[in-house]
Amino acid sequence: MKDDIIIVDKLCRKYITYKRGSGFKESLKSFFHREKVPVDAVKDVSFQVKKGDIIGILGPNGAGKSTTIKMLTGTLYPSSGTVSVMGYTPWKNRTQYVKSIGAVFGQKSQLIFDIPPVDSFMMNKAIYDIPDQEYHERLNHLIELLDLGDKVNRPTRVLSLGERMKCEFIMAMLHNPKVVFLDEPTIGLDVIAKQVIRDFIRAMNEQGTTFILTTHDLEDVEKLARNVIIINKGQKVFDGTIEDLRKNLGNKKVVELTVEDQKKFAKLEKEGIRLLSSEDKHKIKVEVNVDLFPMNEFIHYLSDAGEFRDISIQELPMEDIITSIYKN
Amino acid sequence: MKKYLRLYRQSIRISFAAAMSYRANFILQSLIMILSNSLFPLITLLIYKTGASFPGWSLYEVLLLQSIFTISSGFANMLFSGVVWVTMDHVKEGTLEIVLIKPVKCLFYLVATTFSVENVAVVVGGVIVFIIAYSNISAPSLISWLAAIVFFLIGLLVMLALNLLMSATSFKWVANTRIPEMFTSVLNFGNYPSKIFPKSLQAVITFILPVTMVSCFPAEALLGRADGFMFLAILPCILFLIIGICIYEHMVTLYEGVGG
Repeated sequence: MKDDIIIVDKLCRKYITYKRGSGFKESLKSFFHREKVPVDAVKDVSFQVKKGDIIGILGPNGAGKSTTIKMLTGTLYPSSGTVSVMGYTPWKNRTQYVKSIGAVFGQKSQLIFDIPPVDSFMMNKAIYDIPDQEYHERLNHLIELLDLGDKVNRPTRVLSLGERMKCEFIMAMLHNPKVVFLDEPTIGLDVIAKQVIRDFIRAMNEQGTTFILTTHDLEDVEKLARNVIIINKGQKVFDGTIEDLRKNLGNKKVVELTVEDQKKFAKLEKEGIRLLSSEDKHKIKVEVNVDLFPMNEFIHYLSDAGEFRDISIQELPMEDIITSIYKN
Repeated sequence: MKKYLRLYRQSIRISFAAAMSYRANFILQSLIMILSNSLFPLITLLIYKTGASFPGWSLYEVLLLQSIFTISSGFANMLFSGVVWVTMDHVKEGTLEIVLIKPVKCLFYLVATTFSVENVAVVVGGVIVFIIAYSNISAPSLISWLAAIVFFLIGLLVMLALNLLMSATSFKWVANTRIPEMFTSVLNFGNYPSKIFPKSLQAVITFILPVTMVSCFPAEALLGRADGFMFLAILPCILFLIIGICIYEHMVTLYEGVGG
């Protein structure tokens, strides 16, 4: 497609690991001979990303998310397949390519521990050849967006995890990259720090930056991403919008009722309705497939069954959808 | 090129700032380094006190050689030796990505960012012994000085090549902390007059692992003993550096990272 900024086609990454038994005899044996075991970290993954999009890559631990991101950033060579990011093949002509991208690795810091972040920023200024005026304007803008104030002048080692992560974002964004890769950027952060970072990503995205985000935090994906890719055991198992993802288990809603007499609702069993819980004697939770049982008909059906004091209708929890996809 | 100079200048500033943030440690470390590196000739003094000697070398000539070795080691530690440890750590921890996402040569970035201002003390320790030794030998000619400086600089390139080869191995032998010991063992051949070794070993340490260029040849030049053979030995040194750079850069492409 013309406006695709990233095109990934049949990307594969294999690596060799060694099988080693436990115990003294096996350890001794492995000293002389180790059985090689080929592992497909990423297998035939293909997708496209449009300019200005925010894509969430989800997957359980060891699914191949980070390996995919590393290949997209040009820091890891694939075994086969092709990748085009802004017309570049990331692992070829790396130094030219990485001028236009930024990356934040949630568990790997670019900051220098013993000195203030502002000195680390100066390092990136030198590396990316950012003119003085542009550097100061952009730095002030980023500090303001991330609400960091003069914390950038304190030694990195005294900053909280949230403040450090905000500084990592400044490191990644100072040179105004067109595409930014985020590998678990909110890992370990409190709700306030997460919110500031999500607002920051949204603000940068509105200014035209494309973001590729891997995360375990479904809230990150729900609040930021327009499209989601799910990788499991190295293979892509879902690629679509958040809405498509929600409908993956059918167009379902979770309805929670507060009732006077639970017994009257005990037989809420019909095609399209599934009783989820009724442990509390005044509460009932049901799952309604609105394709089979439209919501207005369901409300009528409820009214006929008995009186209820309160009703809340929610989307199917994202965790349930993701878990179901992982299991399948 | 300008970008690399700016990066290097910034790295020196950062190294200085980092050293200054732990002032007591910096002062103590510098004092210990100056002391230990000015007292290293004690073994040589003991050898000569017993009447033994390195054939063809007086006490002060050996001290001159060994002080050049210390100065060279000081410059190497200050300018690029940190690359061994930092490469080893990045490979072991799987953090080389944070270097590879920067639009600079990975090797240059690691060399620049491991600039270590503390090692000025090693150079100072070596210079103290050099001055003592120099004042006890006959004054070299200008030509001898020039030859010694050329050999010294080429010797530094040999040190760089050795560091790169040792660093490169850590991509395959992950977390092998004995690598720097191997490096020191090979390098120690350069701490003695090459003539004390058998001819075959002399050939190895001149043309294959050219550590004689680090201190032996610069000292011989200052003593007015430089010959065409020594200038010829510059070629394998340059080749050694090219091999070191090529192997390191190739090994970077084999970097695998760790599980995320």
